[in-house]
Amino acid sequence: MSDSKNPLSPHLQIYRWHISSLLSITHRISGVINLFGLILIFFWLLLLSLGESNYELFLLITNSFFGKFILIGFTWSMSFHILSGIRHLAWDLGYGFEIKTANTSGIIVIISSLILTVIFWLFARGLI
Amino acid sequence: MNETRKWILHRISAVILAPLYLWLYFSFISLSTKNYSDAIYFFEKPFFEKLTIMLFFVGFFHAKISLNEIFEDYVHNKKIKDFANISTLILSIIIPLIILILLIYKI
Repeated sequence: MSDSKNPLSPHLQIYRWHISSLLSITHRISGVINLFGLILIFFWLLLLSLGESNYELFLLITNSFFGKFILIGFTWSMSFHILSGIRHLAWDLGYGFEIKTANTSGIIVIISSLILTVIFWLFARGLI
Repeated sequence: MNETRKWILHRISAVILAPLYLWLYFSFISLSTKNYSDAIYFFEKPFFEKLTIMLFFVGFFHAKISLNEIFEDYVHNKKIKDFANISTLILSIIIPLIILILLIYKI
């Protein structure tokens, strides 16, 4: 098989950390976390179809301290992946490759993902 | 599917997915403060039902391509990699299909 000769990426620990590499791996990790978020929504719909008593249990868990902690985590992961994804799309269109621009856009992604998480959560929970 | 087409479809699915996921996750968090009948009422709207089905199909398609790429980079053992890729393919078909059936026939 020809593809068994493909080179594999070196282990992550070998590299010295930069904003670019930090964001690159976080983009992948947040993407995988978002998949778990989508699977959670899948179970939400599954429980919804099983009737009211099962759904009450789900509400109890999502409104517990632990449940909220997880859901806020998913909110950040979604915010980060979408914003970082926009940065990737800009690169795909040929913009923002200069080291300085790439570092600045990286910092903007990190900060705005935190801001978006707070705003999203407050609006979604009806707190503002 | 050739790699260029995969690359392009991955980007297109990302653009479709971003607003859909923001919308459904927002609705999910909002509905977690409300009761069962509010949630049922939400999915009775045909437009919302269609958007949700679309989100699951596009979302798992996007996830499948991404995971294949991640396995390619980090999984060294070919057997494990093939198994991971096949499991991902099966899940990315089954879960959206279950959602399709649930939303059309049950909720």
